[in-house]
This record gives sequence, C-alpha cells and structure tokens, in this order.
Amino acid sequence: MNKKIKASAAIVAAIALSFGAFATTSASAATKTFTLAYQGPLSGGEASTGIDEQNGVKYAIKVFEAANPGYKINLVSVDDEGDPAVASKVAPGVGTNTKIIGLIGPAYSGATIASLPYYKAGNLTVISPSATRVSLTDPKSPTAKSDYGRPIFHRVVATDDKQGPALAKFATDGVTSPKVFVFDDQSSYAVPLRGYVEAALKNVKGATVVGGGDSVPNTTTDFSPTIAKIKSSGANVVIYTGYYSQAAVFVKQLRDSGSTAVFAGGDGVFNQQFAVLAGKSGEGAKLTGVAGLADVDAKIEADFKAKIGVSSGVYAVESIDAANIFLSGIKAGKTTRAAINKWVKSYNFKGIAGANIKFNQHGDISEGGFAGFLVTGGKLVNKGPVA
Amino acid sequence: MFTVFIDQFWQLTVSGIALGFIYVLIALGYTMVYGVLRMINFANSEIFMWGTFGAIVASRDLFGYNQTSEPAHGAKLALVLFVQLFASMAFAGLTAVTVEFVAYRRLRAKGTNRLATLISAIGMSMVLSEVMRLLTASRPVGSPRILEKVILVEVWGAQIRLDTLITIVAAGAIFIILERFVKLSRMGKAIRAVSMNEDAAKLMGINLNRVITTTFLVGGLATGAAGFFYVTVYEYTKFNIGFTMGLAAFTAAVIGGIGNIRGAFFGGVALGLAEVYASAILGTQWKSVTIFIVLVLVLLFKPSGLFGEAVTQTRA
Repeated sequence: MNKKIKASAAIVAAIALSFGAFATTSASAATKTFTLAYQGPLSGGEASTGIDEQNGVKYAIKVFEAANPGYKINLVSVDDEGDPAVASKVAPGVGTNTKIIGLIGPAYSGATIASLPYYKAGNLTVISPSATRVSLTDPKSPTAKSDYGRPIFHRVVATDDKQGPALAKFATDGVTSPKVFVFDDQSSYAVPLRGYVEAALKNVKGATVVGGGDSVPNTTTDFSPTIAKIKSSGANVVIYTGYYSQAAVFVKQLRDSGSTAVFAGGDGVFNQQFAVLAGKSGEGAKLTGVAGLADVDAKIEADFKAKIGVSSGVYAVESIDAANIFLSGIKAGKTTRAAINKWVKSYNFKGIAGANIKFNQHGDISEGGFAGFLVTGGKLVNKGPVA
Repeated sequence: MFTVFIDQFWQLTVSGIALGFIYVLIALGYTMVYGVLRMINFANSEIFMWGTFGAIVASRDLFGYNQTSEPAHGAKLALVLFVQLFASMAFAGLTAVTVEFVAYRRLRAKGTNRLATLISAIGMSMVLSEVMRLLTASRPVGSPRILEKVILVEVWGAQIRLDTLITIVAAGAIFIILERFVKLSRMGKAIRAVSMNEDAAKLMGINLNRVITTTFLVGGLATGAAGFFYVTVYEYTKFNIGFTMGLAAFTAAVIGGIGNIRGAFFGGVALGLAEVYASAILGTQWKSVTIFIVLVLVLLFKPSGLFGEAVTQTRA
C-alpha cells in the first residue's frame, strides 16, 4: 500500500467515522463497558451443555444492550471442559482478573469445587445455572470445608437432594413393582446424586434397589460387567447418575444385550446430544432436567432464535436468569466485585419463568424443581414437573 | 458378591474374550517394536486412536452413513466393513511409519541412548492425541451403526452377537496371519534376525532401516485393525481413548512377556477376562486395581512375563 492510497483510505475512514458519530448522536461517546464471564465446558465431551448455557448468557446480554444504549458488556468465555483438573488451571486467572465483576457458572459441580478457592480469594460472585451438588450450599456437609461456597457461590437451580426423589419417582413411574439398578460415574456430581436416588427409592411404593449398583470410571467404554449385573439382578429400571456422553455409549450396549429395562438419568444426561449419540437405543429414556425456554415462553424462544441463530438448549432459562441478575446490578451502578456481591445477596425480582428469585444465606433459591423428560423420536419431550 | 459371576459366567467370558482380542492386536503393536528395537513405542496407544477415526471416516464420509441411517445388509455390509477395516489399518499403519520416520529414525542414526527415544515416543503420543483433540474440538464422535447387532445364538445363557463373533474370528485371523508372517516370510526372518543381534544382522546384509520400518508398519496395521473392531463394537471414539486402551494393552504385552508375539495373545485374552471378571465380582471401581495387582504378581514370580521376552523365542 503506497502513501497516497493510505491517505485516501484514512480520509474515507474519517468521513465514515464522523457520519457514524452523527448517526448515533452523543450517546456513544459515553459508552460504559463492563465485563462478565461464563464458565463451563465449551470444548470436550460435555461441551454441548456449556455452549447451550453460554448462548443463554449471550442472549441476555444482547437483550440488555438493546434496551440500554450506552452499555457495552464484554463476555469472557472460560472453558473448564467440565473437568475439575482443567478448572483449577483456568480459575486462578479469572479470579485475579478484576475486570470481570461477575461470573455465570461454573456449569458443573466438580469444576465449581475446584474453582471456588480462587473466586473466594478474589471475592468474585458466581451464579451457577446448573451445578446441583448439595454440599456447595450446605455448611454442615462432611466436605463443607472445600465445597461450601459462601459468600460468593449462588445458584438458580434446585439441588440434587430435590433431584434424587424426582428422578426416583419419574424413573419408576408406570413400572409395576420396579426393581431398580443404580450406578454412577465416580464424579463428584454423580456419587452423591446416586445416594439421594437410592434413599428416595425407599419411599417409592413397591420399589426395591437391586444388584448393589456399580461405580464405573468415566473412561469406560465396555459396560459388559455392569450389564451382567443388571441382568443377574433382574432389574427392570436402570438409573445412571453420570453425564450424557457415557450414558449414550452405555444405553446402546444395554439395548444390544436385549434388555428392555427402563433407562433413566439425571440432569447430567439431560442433553439433546444424548438422544443424538444414542440413536434408536436412546428412545424411551427418562431424564430429569429443567424446563426449556420454549416451555416457559414461546415468544422469548422465538426472539432467542432470531438473535442467537440457534434454538435455545439446556439450562437456557437458568442461564438467562443468572445473567440478568448481574446485568440489573450493572444497571443499578454496582460495578465493583464487592458491590455486585451485595446486590446479588439482596436480589429479589422475578425470573423469566415468573417465580421470584431470592437467594438464602447459603446461595440457594427456594423456588425451582425438576421436570421429567421422555426421549421421543430423538427429542427430549417435557412431561411436566415431577414433585 | 459371586452371584453375578456365577450367574453370568459365560456371558462375561464371551465379552471378556472379545475385549481381550482387541487388546491382543494393540499389544502386538507394542510387542513387535519392542522385539526389534528394545524400545516401548508409547505412541502406539494414539496410533490405535487414529485407527478408530479411520473406521469412522470411511463409514461416515465415504459411504455417507449417519447416526439415523439404517444398518447395512448383505454385500453392502461386507463391502463397508471391509473398507472400514482397510481404512483403520491404513490410517494406523501410515501414522506408525510416520512416527518412526519423524521421531525415532534420526535419533537412531545419531546413536542416542534409549532414554531420548523414550521421551520422543511420549512426545509423539501427546502430539497425536492433541492434534486429534483440536480436529474434533474434544468431542466424542459417535459411529453410525453399520452392523446390526443381532443375537445369533444363546449358549448357556451367553449371547453370541454378530459383532462379538466377527471380532473374535477376524481378530484371531489377523493375529495368525501376522504370527505366520514373522515366522515364515523372508522379511519376518529378517525381523527376527535384527531382534536377536542387530550388528550380526547388519553384517549379513540385512537393510536395518527397512526392517524397522516394516516392523512399525506391521505393528501399526495390527493396532489399526483393533481400532476397527473397537468402533464396530462400541460405536464411539474420542481423542483420549488411546490412553486407557493403550495402557491395558501394554499391560497385556508385559504379562505375556513383551517382545513375544504369542505372549501378547495370551496376555491380551487373560487381561480382557480379568477385567470383566474383576468388575463383575468386586465392582467396576476395582477393575484397574485388580489388573495391576495381577501384573505385579506375575512380574514377581516371572519377571520376564508368562512367555518370556523377545521375538526370538517364538521360533519353533
């Protein structure tokens, strides 16, 4: 590029700029920029969940920016692959980056526990749309020392002590004298959830827990020993409390072995990708999860698709709610980590599902529960709340 | 505790043997290279992983199958499976030879010690798995169902499924072909000669580099075939499956006596059975613990593995 062209290019740019400035009037001069972060699995086997949630956050920010000209929100994507080991590597940088005033996430409980020390040290308030492990908000749990997230941890989703009974009930619904085999993937989400499910099954009429269950490392691809146990125990309901990518591999092998037992899973399996990966074997699987955006408000869903380009995925409602809590704080002038924390603690407004969102002293909301989903024709179909 | 084991014994045995045959083929990759170079090719686990992707690329991209398509039948089925097997073996064989060329040959020419090659092997293994991680955005890749998993017969409560049968028969055949190749062919003799005494073999006019490349190729082909069977049975792969499978197969090779081709066979089958039995009796969480206790016990009493070390001993 020679000097002449450079000069003319500069002039053109200057003209364009001045036109732009006229067009947007004086407001753009005072654009206020703030930074939030989303943390969850954005790559790796669990990426689908993280990408769905982050889309929810992006949507909330777009809506906010459109309604409040003069505000610009940067979103930092923190990819923890849903893995505690990865989370403990990325969290220190996020904790010390004081530009980030609030974080939506982490998506997974194990990754949350690994990240908490750094966020506590940096007083970074986090609101998770999907970390359901009970001990995160329970000061009396045996692992409270590492897991209890007060004062920075909050979540807009119900906990596994509520999910356990819901999953137990939904999985055995319509099965006469259910014999239930429960197994986990050894993760810090799946093991306690399995405990809640097994405890809740005692209260389900006629149900028995059979076969002693199993605990299968999440690198397993050959499930034949587990399937042998299921067959030997005569189970007619199988509940897996791990995550969707393993669940898809397992359910294929279960069906190939000729078993017709009901397959059920918790919100870790609750993902569209489960139905895709499992194919025909996934049909009829019963999953507990949270109601999707389309179930809550079809109008918002249509707007979501128009603004983001794809339909909303899992935890869209929770992600939007979590982002909105921070965004309303920014609007109210709470722009430091300390001020945001105070704002979240005293927050008491309606979420998009209509219920009030208010955190108790441990960071939990009182509202919210789980809905049952049935995999039908490759889709997760909402069968209504399970209470 | 033992009720499942007794109740499902034959079913577990069939599953264990099928899994074991996959281990056998991967173990061959380790054992062949060790026999000739006295070096553990740690990249072999990733060569296996690349092989699994070869099978999926063939069915998905070449034949256009997807997750919802119907399984193939008749001649089409045979054709697709054959092309998949070929693609896996070609992917893995090429990867193995490339690894040899890039990571080991120059080190050997410079006469470095074995530690340098070992580190180079670990490095290659990381490179291969990270490249695949980036290519697939770390996502698991599901394989379309090509082979309908019909249950052929039930014997003593054990289901013999078509995919299990194919795995056992075809993997067995591939093993026999390779074993015969090493034992009877001219190149096989050269491989054994290099294994016995490298310098003497060179003096007899054996082209050392050619022998070594062939060894990597043959080991890669066997490992690639394992990738095909893995995809056919489990219909799933991911950038990080190599580690678990590779470690298990390496253990199998050591139990059998690393460097010994027949040892790899018995080691692989024994390990497959041990894994499945241990998981059924003690619970899957005890699988790895049991296997490594078995390994330690074997090495305690037979330090060079059940069948002793080195390719040379396979001579009749």
